[in-house]
Amino acid sequence: MQEMKNNDESQYQIMIDQLRSANAELSESLRAAEEENRAKSSFLSSMSHDIRTPMNAIMGMTSIALSHIDEKSRVFDCLQKIQTASTHLMNLVNDVLDMSRIASGRMTLSEEAFSLADMVHDIMIIVRPQAAHKHQEFHLEIGQIYEENLIGDPLHLRQIMVNIIGNAVKYTQEDGTIHVSISQHIGQSEFPGQETDNRIWLDLLCEDNGIGMSQEFLKRIFEPFERVNNTTTSKIEGTGLGMAIVKSLLDRMGGEIKVESEEGKGSRFHISIPFAAAPHTEGTQTLPTGQTVLIAESMDSRAQQIADYLKDGGMETVHLKNGMDAVTWLTEAQYENRMPCALLLGQELNDMSVLDVAAHVRDLAGREFPIIMVAEVDWAQIEYRATRAGITAFVPCPLFKSRLFAALSELMDKAQRNNSERLGKHVDYSQYRLLLVEDNEFNREIAIELLSQTGVQIETAENGLRAVEAFEKSPENYYDLIFMDIQMPVMNGYDAARKIRQLPRKDAESIIIVAMTANAFVEDIRLSKEAGMNEHCSKPVDAEHLYEILRKRLSAEE
Amino acid sequence: MQPYQEEYIANLKDIAVLAARKYQNCHSFETYRETLLKNRSLIEAKVNRNIELLRNELFPLFDRLFEAEPNELEELEEFAKRLLDGKNELDGGLFCQIYQALLSHARHTKDCNAIIRCLYWLGIGRHNMCSKMVGLDLPDIEYYMSQMRLCFTEAAAYLKYYDDICDIETKGYILRSRANTALGQFKSASSKIHLTRQTLQLLQDEDFQQKTPELPWDRYIYMTHQQMISGISYNRENDMTAQDVTAIMESAHIVHKRQIQEAISNNEAPPMRSAFSCYAIEYYCGLLTLEDLLGRMEELMDLADTSSFSSDAMYTIISLPAIYCQYLREYPEQLSGREKYLESLYRKIIAYTDAFPENEANEQIFYFLRQLATTFIETAHSISYGEFQQIMLIHFAPDIYIHSQVVGKTAAAFCEIIMNEEPSFFDDIEYIRQISDPGTKRQAVLELAMNSGTFHDVGKINFISLFTRTARQWFEEEYEITYLHTVVGSTRLNACISTRHYAPAALGHHSWYDGSRGYPESYKRLECPYRQMVDVIGLIDWMDNSMNCAWLYGHTKKSFDEAVQEAIALERRRFSPLLTTRLRDKAVTEKLRQAFETARYDACYHLYQETIPHEKSPQKIIRL
Repeated sequence: MQEMKNNDESQYQIMIDQLRSANAELSESLRAAEEENRAKSSFLSSMSHDIRTPMNAIMGMTSIALSHIDEKSRVFDCLQKIQTASTHLMNLVNDVLDMSRIASGRMTLSEEAFSLADMVHDIMIIVRPQAAHKHQEFHLEIGQIYEENLIGDPLHLRQIMVNIIGNAVKYTQEDGTIHVSISQHIGQSEFPGQETDNRIWLDLLCEDNGIGMSQEFLKRIFEPFERVNNTTTSKIEGTGLGMAIVKSLLDRMGGEIKVESEEGKGSRFHISIPFAAAPHTEGTQTLPTGQTVLIAESMDSRAQQIADYLKDGGMETVHLKNGMDAVTWLTEAQYENRMPCALLLGQELNDMSVLDVAAHVRDLAGREFPIIMVAEVDWAQIEYRATRAGITAFVPCPLFKSRLFAALSELMDKAQRNNSERLGKHVDYSQYRLLLVEDNEFNREIAIELLSQTGVQIETAENGLRAVEAFEKSPENYYDLIFMDIQMPVMNGYDAARKIRQLPRKDAESIIIVAMTANAFVEDIRLSKEAGMNEHCSKPVDAEHLYEILRKRLSAEE
Repeated sequence: MQPYQEEYIANLKDIAVLAARKYQNCHSFETYRETLLKNRSLIEAKVNRNIELLRNELFPLFDRLFEAEPNELEELEEFAKRLLDGKNELDGGLFCQIYQALLSHARHTKDCNAIIRCLYWLGIGRHNMCSKMVGLDLPDIEYYMSQMRLCFTEAAAYLKYYDDICDIETKGYILRSRANTALGQFKSASSKIHLTRQTLQLLQDEDFQQKTPELPWDRYIYMTHQQMISGISYNRENDMTAQDVTAIMESAHIVHKRQIQEAISNNEAPPMRSAFSCYAIEYYCGLLTLEDLLGRMEELMDLADTSSFSSDAMYTIISLPAIYCQYLREYPEQLSGREKYLESLYRKIIAYTDAFPENEANEQIFYFLRQLATTFIETAHSISYGEFQQIMLIHFAPDIYIHSQVVGKTAAAFCEIIMNEEPSFFDDIEYIRQISDPGTKRQAVLELAMNSGTFHDVGKINFISLFTRTARQWFEEEYEITYLHTVVGSTRLNACISTRHYAPAALGHHSWYDGSRGYPESYKRLECPYRQMVDVIGLIDWMDNSMNCAWLYGHTKKSFDEAVQEAIALERRRFSPLLTTRLRDKAVTEKLRQAFETARYDACYHLYQETIPHEKSPQKIIRL
């Protein structure tokens, strides 16, 4: 009896324990559900605020623009703000959709070849202006790269990198510092306990001295809808989904992430993702192996990186830090007939701007000498000034070997082509026809002599009126280009160009007209443009310049 | 030289005389104005003739330069040297154009001697341009400094082949180029001193001297010592290393000793300039305190002979006070207790400038006054910076003075019309918005318009030869240099409290309303609270330029009605529609037409009063 009682008691005890355990589990589930619910509520509340903020901006700016519709600059300003707000809104929506796709298991990864150089360049275009806007010091370092062309999911890799670096910018105060390093290692995870293999691991290290995170928050950093919550961050826009998306994507890609952070001091994110190398395509690059390249750059580390790459390509390098030293070196090289195959101008020099040096070297070394700029600047913003100063090509930083070699190779090919053209060999513009309008017989003869070496068909006119008549009588698209002198009897070059442009025929607008004049006043350049000419070519005209115009204009036509 | 070259130079000289406005024989304002208008049309005729000469003769030569005969190239070079001989400038811009062309020719023919010679002279031409940029921050003018320095650097690079080069003259150019690489501003004082020190070592190398004893080594070395000490006045003490200071000290001692010897042999007083150099370097190496240095400078300035117009007297009376002001700017705590002395210095300078003989060449006095304009300090009882600038304009740029007065008065008239219709039109300007009384607000706006107009072109003082002495259209490079007058003007006006409100108009009056064109890039219309006023000044300035000095820009002179029509055509692009819409109102344009005419007449009259001795009013400077 006593035994039965004891058995019953122990069974009850088991059942009670089970019930207690079940209750505890239920309580935990309830707590988790409530926690998730709290996070979702907080997310919804924050989202509704976050969505409302850009929507308010869009609506407000639209009504301001409508009420000042005649003031172009004001409307333009409003439209720019609307564009910023709507981009932000779109990002919010995209994050929510991404998270939903990941949570429902509908996310698939692609397997395609991509260029790491292109990707890093694109990311920098997004991130750099944001850092510049906050006056932050932003450093990007490219370490050892074994393979620039990889196979993987470029879209999601970009998303991961933009999220990590973008957060560093977002959560670092004005004038703060962000350091990003990108490199590769082969075959072994850098994280303990992972398997060894032969894949290429892409490493991204992102360090900042921003607001950092508490140890408590670090534990929840990858949970959806969580954000660092304090007075500083309440003004920072975001959904709290970014890191959850990053972690989910990394898990699917077989990658790893490690975060270290200290509140008030900054954060350090380290991610590592395995990729396969894309198969090598047949190389078409022709590098000037054994030749010297002059590097002009004040920063040793950057110059060293350029030099290392060039040495890998079999080239010799000379490094100088001053513009004056570079010009002295080139003058001596020219005198001794040992010119380098190119000048690589970096971001900065100790004594003067790189563009100023480029302008002088262009005069010193001639039109064909390759001057390449390797810099972090936004090329679109300086392109006009740089090409005017004589820069032949631009290689953006962060510097990748492939881009540097491609630029050099293209210039070498071009130089070879130009050499051939200068020698009158292998150049055949015989399918093109140009009209040379020049009243001076001597000048006409010289120009014909120079141009005929390219095989181009030349017709002449001795004044503007004859040129208009010749063009008018010819069938459409008969001429490909017109070289027009300005000072001529009967009808000058401006009037002739204007009359040609006004003719009622399709090619009147498109025919290329190049002014050839020694007149150098500001008015002359303005007048030739106003008369509808495409280019202003100053006299005395030399052969190389004429060939350059043919190359530029006729190749563009092709 | 070719006849057209002689004629061009003769025209330049005539224009300089006509533009100098020495109308001592005009006994009434009517005669003065008549002479002024007659001279103006004479100037225009000569300018047009010069443009014609260049178009018909010089440019065709450039056209066929590679086939030109050697004697044509020699004549061209001779012509260039007459345009800028190192001391006097007749046409520095054309000088550069010619040497640029000659350098292209030399590079084309691979003539080493010619390349070196042309690089040297092109460097000199560019140095002449750079000298107009006094007071500008290096980043704004770095391009011009670099272009000058690189010409000298390339020529100096041939030093390595000194023995290969046979021509003695070319060897001289190489050495002079080497010395000139240290001309102009540098990012650090040490770089400049380091370069000069290297040049000195080279020039003192007996090996080089023995190779070419024909060259004036002593002169080269002495000039390099002078160049070394020229760095003192604008170098901060912490910029220089101990080695730099030693080098300057040695040079200062050598130059001072030589100048004293020369003064004794010429029976003259010891020169003040080198005395100051010695004091300055003693201060830099700690032998004198700043207090001591300023005291010594005061002693030198007090010794100046105000009846003399020698270079040394001008230096002591104007340039030394400018350096004195520079120290006080660097160390404002030293100003306390020196205000009255500074005010007396300014009075002495103005009296000296007024007494400057009309027939003397006034280049040197102008450069010294311009130096003072960049370091000027306002005190409670001193003349204001604005008044000082007016004196500069009246004396050295009367055309710019008249233009500025016209823009100021016409802008004020236009603002009056606007304020009657929209009293809050200028309320983006905080201090205007805060004025609640309508009458006071209106008065404040009109005063702002008048002074913004009066000072919008003060930056042109730096480029005076480009604006007032260019006897042809500008070349593209010159046009680009003139862009800097907006930055210079704004920087200067911003530096003094009394003129700070007028700086935005100086900066932005050449910008376009829609931001698509114009200059400078640093003016952001939408971010500037003064933009409505800047728009007004920009419009009136453009109209007056279109009607009066269109040739510089390569445009045809317009009548008032044509200018109004073109301004309307440029609505929303160059000009604010809020302003051009008012130009459609005939009553408004009539008022503006009258304002332009009256303002020009009044400015002329004021100039007549100020510059013709017998009619001078006791109150010489307009109080603003």
